Amino acid sequence: MLEKLLKIYPELANFDFASGVITIQNDSDNKGDYIAKWEHPTLARPTDEELA
Amino acid sequence: MASTISAGTTSGTAIAIAGDTSGNLALLTQAGANTITVPNATGTMMVSGNMPAFSAYLSADQTVSASAFVKVLLDTESFDTNNNFASSRFTPTIAGYYQISAGLRVPVSTTPICVIYKNGSAYARGSYTAVSTYNSVASVLVYCNGSTDYIELYGYTNLTTFSGIQSETFMSGVLVRAA
Repeated sequence: MLEKLLKIYPELANFDFASGVITIQNDSDNKGDYIAKWEHPTLARPTDEELA
Repeated sequence: MASTISAGTTSGTAIAIAGDTSGNLALLTQAGANTITVPNATGTMMVSGNMPAFSAYLSADQTVSASAFVKVLLDTESFDTNNNFASSRFTPTIAGYYQISAGLRVPVSTTPICVIYKNGSAYARGSYTAVSTYNSVASVLVYCNGSTDYIELYGYTNLTTFSGIQSETFMSGVLVRAA
Protein backbone atom coordinates (compact mmCIF):
# COMPACT_ATOMS: atom_id res chain seq x y z
CA MET A 1 0.00 0.00 0.00
CA LEU A 2 2.78 2.42 0.90
CA GLU A 3 4.45 1.93 -2.46
CA LYS A 4 1.18 2.54 -4.28
CA LEU A 5 0.54 5.72 -2.33
CA LEU A 6 4.02 7.02 -3.02
CA LYS A 7 3.57 6.30 -6.70
CA ILE A 8 0.36 8.35 -6.74
CA TYR A 9 1.66 11.05 -4.42
CA PRO A 10 5.47 11.22 -4.46
CA GLU A 11 5.24 14.20 -2.12
CA LEU A 12 4.31 11.77 0.67
CA ALA A 13 7.81 10.33 0.67
CA ASN A 14 8.69 12.06 3.93
CA PHE A 15 5.19 11.95 5.38
CA ASP A 16 4.79 10.68 8.93
CA PHE A 17 2.30 7.83 8.60
CA ALA A 18 2.32 7.41 12.36
CA SER A 19 0.71 10.82 12.76
CA GLY A 20 -2.80 9.48 12.26
CA VAL A 21 -3.62 11.85 9.42
CA ILE A 22 -3.35 8.98 6.98
CA THR A 23 -3.63 5.53 8.50
CA ILE A 24 -2.67 2.41 6.59
CA GLN A 25 -3.95 -0.67 8.40
CA ASN A 26 -3.54 -4.41 8.11
CA ASP A 27 -5.66 -6.76 10.21
CA SER A 28 -3.37 -9.76 9.64
CA ASP A 29 -6.25 -11.60 8.03
CA ASN A 30 -4.56 -12.15 4.65
CA LYS A 31 -6.63 -9.37 3.10
CA GLY A 32 -3.68 -7.00 2.89
CA ASP A 33 -3.22 -3.34 3.66
CA TYR A 34 -6.00 -0.81 3.35
CA ILE A 35 -6.56 2.86 4.09
CA ALA A 36 -8.33 3.03 7.44
CA LYS A 37 -8.28 6.82 7.65
CA TRP A 38 -7.50 9.66 5.23
CA GLU A 39 -7.61 13.19 6.61
CA HIS A 40 -4.87 14.83 4.58
CA PRO A 41 -5.66 18.54 4.26
CA THR A 42 -4.78 18.89 0.57
CA LEU A 43 -4.38 15.48 -1.06
CA ALA A 44 -7.51 13.59 -2.05
CA ARG A 45 -8.01 10.02 -0.94
CA PRO A 46 -6.97 7.76 -3.83
CA THR A 47 -9.73 5.79 -5.47
CA ASP A 48 -9.83 2.01 -5.52
CA GLU A 49 -9.03 2.18 -9.21
CA GLU A 50 -5.91 4.23 -8.55
CA LEU A 51 -4.81 1.78 -5.87
CA ALA A 52 -5.51 -1.33 -7.96
CA MET B 1 -24.93 1.03 57.67
CA ALA B 2 -25.42 -2.66 57.22
CA SER B 3 -26.81 -5.73 58.82
CA THR B 4 -23.91 -7.65 60.29
CA ILE B 5 -22.84 -11.20 60.87
CA SER B 6 -19.95 -11.17 63.33
CA ALA B 7 -17.56 -13.93 64.31
CA GLY B 8 -17.05 -14.41 68.05
CA THR B 9 -14.74 -16.48 70.22
CA THR B 10 -17.12 -17.61 72.97
CA SER B 11 -18.65 -21.07 72.72
CA GLY B 12 -22.36 -20.84 72.06
CA THR B 13 -22.23 -17.23 70.93
CA ALA B 14 -19.58 -17.55 68.26
CA ILE B 15 -21.87 -15.97 65.70
CA ALA B 16 -23.63 -12.67 66.38
CA ILE B 17 -26.25 -11.32 64.04
CA ALA B 18 -27.53 -7.76 64.06
CA GLY B 19 -29.89 -6.27 61.55
CA ASP B 20 -30.74 -2.84 60.23
CA THR B 21 -32.89 -1.64 57.34
CA SER B 22 -30.17 -0.58 54.90
CA GLY B 23 -30.26 -3.71 52.82
CA ASN B 24 -26.48 -3.97 52.98
CA LEU B 25 -24.73 -6.93 54.58
CA ALA B 26 -21.37 -6.92 56.34
CA LEU B 27 -19.35 -9.90 57.53
CA LEU B 28 -17.06 -9.05 60.46
CA THR B 29 -14.32 -10.88 62.30
CA GLN B 30 -14.13 -10.87 66.09
CA ALA B 31 -12.06 -7.74 66.18
CA GLY B 32 -14.21 -6.10 63.56
CA ALA B 33 -11.13 -5.12 61.63
CA ASN B 34 -11.63 -7.51 58.74
CA THR B 35 -14.88 -6.78 57.03
CA ILE B 36 -16.56 -7.87 53.84
CA THR B 37 -19.44 -5.64 52.85
CA VAL B 38 -21.99 -6.82 50.32
CA PRO B 39 -23.81 -3.77 48.97
CA ASN B 40 -27.53 -3.68 48.40
CA ALA B 41 -27.06 -3.51 44.64
CA THR B 42 -27.55 -5.68 41.62
CA GLY B 43 -24.41 -7.28 40.31
CA THR B 44 -21.95 -10.08 40.63
CA MET B 45 -19.52 -10.09 43.52
CA MET B 46 -16.03 -10.94 42.29
CA VAL B 47 -13.20 -12.42 44.28
CA SER B 48 -9.62 -12.86 43.22
CA GLY B 49 -10.21 -16.45 42.24
CA ASN B 50 -12.73 -15.73 39.52
CA MET B 51 -11.62 -12.46 37.95
CA PRO B 52 -10.50 -13.31 34.42
CA ALA B 53 -6.87 -12.70 33.50
CA PHE B 54 -4.85 -13.44 30.41
CA SER B 55 -1.42 -12.93 28.92
CA ALA B 56 -0.26 -13.74 25.40
CA TYR B 57 2.78 -12.96 23.28
CA LEU B 58 4.31 -13.12 19.84
CA SER B 59 6.52 -16.19 19.81
CA ALA B 60 8.34 -15.66 16.50
CA ASP B 61 9.13 -12.64 14.36
CA GLN B 62 6.14 -11.34 12.39
CA THR B 63 6.64 -9.87 8.94
CA VAL B 64 4.60 -6.70 8.55
CA SER B 65 4.01 -3.84 6.16
CA ALA B 66 6.18 -0.83 6.84
CA SER B 67 4.40 2.35 7.93
CA ALA B 68 1.12 0.54 8.54
CA PHE B 69 -0.76 -0.28 11.70
CA VAL B 70 -0.71 -4.08 11.73
CA LYS B 71 -2.48 -6.48 14.06
CA VAL B 72 0.05 -8.30 16.21
CA LEU B 73 -0.32 -12.06 16.04
CA LEU B 74 -0.18 -13.01 19.70
CA ASP B 75 0.04 -16.71 18.97
CA THR B 76 1.07 -18.06 22.37
CA GLU B 77 -0.80 -17.80 25.65
CA SER B 78 1.02 -17.62 28.96
CA PHE B 79 -2.31 -18.01 30.72
CA ASP B 80 -5.98 -17.44 29.99
CA THR B 81 -7.99 -18.17 33.09
CA ASN B 82 -11.44 -17.79 31.57
CA ASN B 83 -10.75 -18.95 28.01
CA ASN B 84 -11.50 -15.50 26.62
CA PHE B 85 -8.44 -15.16 24.41
CA ALA B 86 -8.39 -16.64 20.92
CA SER B 87 -7.03 -15.67 17.50
CA SER B 88 -5.00 -12.81 18.97
CA ARG B 89 -8.17 -11.30 20.38
CA PHE B 90 -9.46 -10.92 23.94
CA THR B 91 -13.25 -11.12 24.15
CA PRO B 92 -14.20 -11.16 27.83
CA THR B 93 -17.44 -12.83 28.82
CA ILE B 94 -17.81 -10.90 32.07
CA ALA B 95 -18.79 -7.25 31.79
CA GLY B 96 -16.56 -4.83 33.59
CA TYR B 97 -13.44 -2.71 33.61
CA TYR B 98 -10.25 -4.37 32.42
CA GLN B 99 -6.69 -3.19 32.92
CA ILE B 100 -4.86 -3.92 29.68
CA SER B 101 -1.09 -3.69 29.22
CA ALA B 102 0.88 -4.24 26.05
CA GLY B 103 4.34 -3.98 24.59
CA LEU B 104 5.89 -4.08 21.12
CA ARG B 105 9.51 -4.72 20.20
CA VAL B 106 11.15 -4.14 16.82
CA PRO B 107 14.58 -5.46 15.79
CA VAL B 108 16.21 -2.11 15.03
CA SER B 109 16.09 1.04 17.11
CA THR B 110 13.52 3.24 15.37
CA THR B 111 10.17 4.70 16.42
CA PRO B 112 7.73 1.82 16.97
CA ILE B 113 4.25 2.34 18.38
CA CYS B 114 1.93 -0.20 19.96
CA VAL B 115 -1.78 0.59 20.05
CA ILE B 116 -4.50 -1.16 22.03
CA TYR B 117 -7.56 -1.52 19.84
CA LYS B 118 -11.14 -1.93 21.03
CA ASN B 119 -13.68 -3.29 18.57
CA GLY B 120 -11.38 -2.66 15.61
CA SER B 121 -10.48 0.95 16.39
CA ALA B 122 -7.52 2.51 18.15
CA TYR B 123 -8.34 2.97 21.84
CA ALA B 124 -5.01 3.63 23.57
CA ARG B 125 -1.86 4.66 21.77
CA GLY B 126 1.37 3.61 23.36
CA SER B 127 4.58 5.45 23.91
CA TYR B 128 6.11 7.14 20.88
CA THR B 129 9.29 9.09 21.07
CA ALA B 130 11.25 11.21 18.64
CA VAL B 131 14.35 9.44 19.89
CA SER B 132 14.88 6.00 18.40
CA THR B 133 14.07 3.05 20.59
CA TYR B 134 13.30 -0.65 20.32
CA ASN B 135 10.09 -0.68 22.33
CA SER B 136 6.71 0.90 22.76
CA VAL B 137 4.38 0.18 25.66
CA ALA B 138 0.73 0.95 26.33
CA SER B 139 -1.64 0.62 29.26
CA VAL B 140 -5.27 1.49 29.64
CA LEU B 141 -8.35 0.78 31.72
CA VAL B 142 -11.16 -0.16 29.35
CA TYR B 143 -14.77 -1.17 29.78
CA CYS B 144 -15.94 -4.33 28.00
CA ASN B 145 -19.58 -5.34 27.87
CA GLY B 146 -18.95 -9.03 28.38
CA SER B 147 -20.39 -10.12 25.05
CA THR B 148 -19.38 -8.26 21.88
CA ASP B 149 -16.53 -5.99 22.95
CA TYR B 150 -13.05 -7.22 22.10
CA ILE B 151 -9.47 -6.06 22.52
CA GLU B 152 -6.54 -6.49 20.13
CA LEU B 153 -2.98 -5.24 19.82
CA TYR B 154 -1.71 -3.39 16.77
CA GLY B 155 1.78 -2.19 16.06
CA TYR B 156 3.43 0.36 13.82
CA THR B 157 6.97 0.48 12.55
CA ASN B 158 8.80 1.82 9.54
CA LEU B 159 10.56 -1.57 9.43
CA THR B 160 9.00 -4.83 8.24
CA THR B 161 9.30 -6.93 11.40
CA PHE B 162 7.78 -7.21 14.86
CA SER B 163 10.13 -9.08 17.17
CA GLY B 164 8.82 -12.32 18.62
CA ILE B 165 10.01 -11.97 22.19
CA GLN B 166 7.77 -13.09 25.05
CA SER B 167 8.77 -10.35 27.44
CA GLU B 168 8.58 -7.52 24.90
CA THR B 169 5.80 -8.15 22.36
CA PHE B 170 2.80 -9.10 24.42
CA MET B 171 -0.59 -8.14 25.74
CA SER B 172 -2.08 -8.96 29.11
CA GLY B 173 -5.16 -7.98 31.04
CA VAL B 174 -7.26 -8.56 34.10
CA LEU B 175 -10.73 -7.66 35.29
CA VAL B 176 -10.35 -5.09 38.03
CA ARG B 177 -14.01 -4.20 38.56
CA ALA B 178 -17.12 -5.97 37.45
CA ALA B 179 -19.81 -3.81 35.88
